[in-house]
Amino acid sequence: MFPLLKKLIRTGAGRTRFLMAVLGLSVALLLILSAVQLQADYHSLLYSKNSQDSIANFLVVNKQLTAQNIGAAELSPADINGLKQQPFTDAIGQLTPSRFRIYAHGEQIPFSTDLFFESVPDEFIDVTSADWAWTDQSQFIPMIVPNMFLDAYNFGFAPSQNLPQLTQDVVKSLPIQISISTATGNVNYYAKVVGFSDRISSLLVPQQFMDWANKRFGTGEVVKPSRLIIKTKDPGNPELVKYLQEHGLKTDADKTRFSKYRQQVNMIVNISWVTGVMMLLFAILIFTLFIQLTIASCKEEITLLVTLGTAPRQLQRFLMRQFFPPNIIITVIVLVAVAILQWLMAGFLQGKSIYLPAATSYTTFAAALLILLVLWLVNYLTVKKYIAQAR
Amino acid sequence: MQIQLQQLVPVPLRDKLEQRKSDIWNTSVTFNKGEWVKIKAPSGTGKTTLVHTLYKLRDDYEGAVSWGGKSLRNYRPAETAALRQQTVSIIFQDMRLFPNLTARENIELKRVLTAPPYYEATVIDAMAEKLQVAHVLNQRAGLCSYGEQQRIAIIRALVQPFEWLVMDEPFSHLDHNNAGKAAELIATECTKRKAGFILTDLDEDTHFAYTRNLLL
Repeated sequence: MFPLLKKLIRTGAGRTRFLMAVLGLSVALLLILSAVQLQADYHSLLYSKNSQDSIANFLVVNKQLTAQNIGAAELSPADINGLKQQPFTDAIGQLTPSRFRIYAHGEQIPFSTDLFFESVPDEFIDVTSADWAWTDQSQFIPMIVPNMFLDAYNFGFAPSQNLPQLTQDVVKSLPIQISISTATGNVNYYAKVVGFSDRISSLLVPQQFMDWANKRFGTGEVVKPSRLIIKTKDPGNPELVKYLQEHGLKTDADKTRFSKYRQQVNMIVNISWVTGVMMLLFAILIFTLFIQLTIASCKEEITLLVTLGTAPRQLQRFLMRQFFPPNIIITVIVLVAVAILQWLMAGFLQGKSIYLPAATSYTTFAAALLILLVLWLVNYLTVKKYIAQAR
Repeated sequence: MQIQLQQLVPVPLRDKLEQRKSDIWNTSVTFNKGEWVKIKAPSGTGKTTLVHTLYKLRDDYEGAVSWGGKSLRNYRPAETAALRQQTVSIIFQDMRLFPNLTARENIELKRVLTAPPYYEATVIDAMAEKLQVAHVLNQRAGLCSYGEQQRIAIIRALVQPFEWLVMDEPFSHLDHNNAGKAAELIATECTKRKAGFILTDLDEDTHFAYTRNLLL
C-alpha cells in the first residue's frame, strides 16, 4: 500500500524548506550535543580518579580580617549553619583553639618557643598514625605539624643559624617538653610529632586532649570557633567561591583558583546550549511547516483516500515513515561527528597532560535519544493534527 | 448490518421536500441485510445527497442515519474507516479515481487497503476482462474515457469485502451492452457475499432483480 501512497503524496513540494530544516537541525544538534559532551568532559576532569587532588578537597575557612572586626572574628552559629546547608559542603568541622598558654622546649636540640595548639575532628585529618590518640594515661601528647613548618626550618632557618637540617623521621623521634601555664604554676608534659600534613596549616593535637586541657587549664568561658574546615567535592565550584565572598569568609585562594576557569567553561557551554536550543526550536518549526505544506498540497488526495476508507492511523504511519527517518539520519551523523571531535580533542589534550576519555560519554548518547524522542513527538503530533484537518 | 433512516431531511432541501411525497425523506425506512433496493430519483430530488449522507460524507441533515443500530454521527474516524473497508462499498456518480495513478493502481490501492486483501491481485485482471477494460489497466486513470473510468470505479468497489454496495447512477456512461455486463458482475459479487445494495438512478430499469423499488 505504501508504494502507492508514495505516488500520491509527494514530499517534494517543499524541498528548499526541507533542506533548510535539515541544515538547521544538524547545526542545532551539533551545538547541543557538543555542549553535553563538554560538560561531561569537564565533569570527568574534576571527578575522575587520576586527577583528584586530596588537598584540594578540604578548605579551612575563616572570617576575612578587616579593621572593623579585629578581635571579634569568631564565627557565629548562624555562619556555621549557613555553610553547613550549602550543597557544596559535604562535611564541616570546627578548629578548636587552645585557651591556655603553652611553652615548648627541646631536650636534645636546644630550642624554646611559645606555642598554640588547635584540634579538629579526626575525620578531617589525613595522617594515619597509631600514635594519634590521647587519654589521660598517655605518656605523651601526639602532634601533627604542617610540612611547611619543617620546610621553613630546613631550607630557611637552619642554614642561616648554622643548625642541622632535620628529616621527618628525626623530628618524629625528638621528644618535646611542653609547659602549660596555670594559675598555680606550670604543668609539664611530653609531646611528640607523629605526622606531617599539608591539609591544615596549624599545630594539631587530638580533640580528646584539647577538650580535656581546655576544661582543665582554660579560662572557663565557652569560646566561639574562629576557623572551620569544610570537605567539598569541588573546591573550584564558583558557587562556593561566591558564597564565601558574600559572607566575608576567606580560604586558601590557591585551592579555589580553578573556579575562574570553571566559570569560563560554564559560560561557553551555556552559550552553546542556548544557541543550540534556539536553533532546535527553529528547526522544529521549519519541519512542522514542511509537514503542514506537504499535507496541504496533497489535501485532495488525502480526502479521497479517507473517503475510500483509509484509516487515519494508516495515513499517519505512512507520513511518519516519510518524515521521521531524516531526523534519525541527522542524529546519527551528528553523533558520529561529536565522537570524532571528542577523539581528536582527547588526543590533542593528551599532549598537554590533560586526560580526557577518547570515547563519547553516555550522557551525550542519552541526550541524542532524548532529542530524537522530542522530534518524534513533534512529528507525530503535527502529522496527526494536519491529517485531522485535511479530512 | 441493518440501515435505518429516521425522519431524514437534508437541510438544503428542507423547503423543497415539504411539498412532495417521498419513500425516503422525512419518514422511517429500514433496509435489511441482503435487500436489493432501487431508488428512483428524478433530477433535483437529492439523489447524490442521499448517497453521500449514507456514506457519511455529509452531515447537514435532520433526523438520523444508523448503520447496525449506531448513528453515523457517533462513528469516530477510525470506525468510519473500518466501516468503509469491511461493510460498505461505494460507486460514485463522479467516479472519484486518482487521475495520476493508472487504472490498475486505483483498484490495487483499494484492494490492499483492507488487510489481508479480500481478493488476489489476479481478480483485477479477470474483472477487467469481463468489463472489457483490460487494455486500459496500465493507463493513467485521468486519460481514460468516462465509460472506462466508470467501469474501473465499479471494479474498485468490488475488490473489497462488503455487506452493502451503494451505487449512484453506476451505468450513466455505459451503453446498454456494457451496462448489462457490469450489472451481471455486480449481481454475481453481491450474491457471493450475500450482500445487499442500494442503487439510485433517474429512471426505471431492469438490470437487477430488485427486492424493493422506492421513489425518492
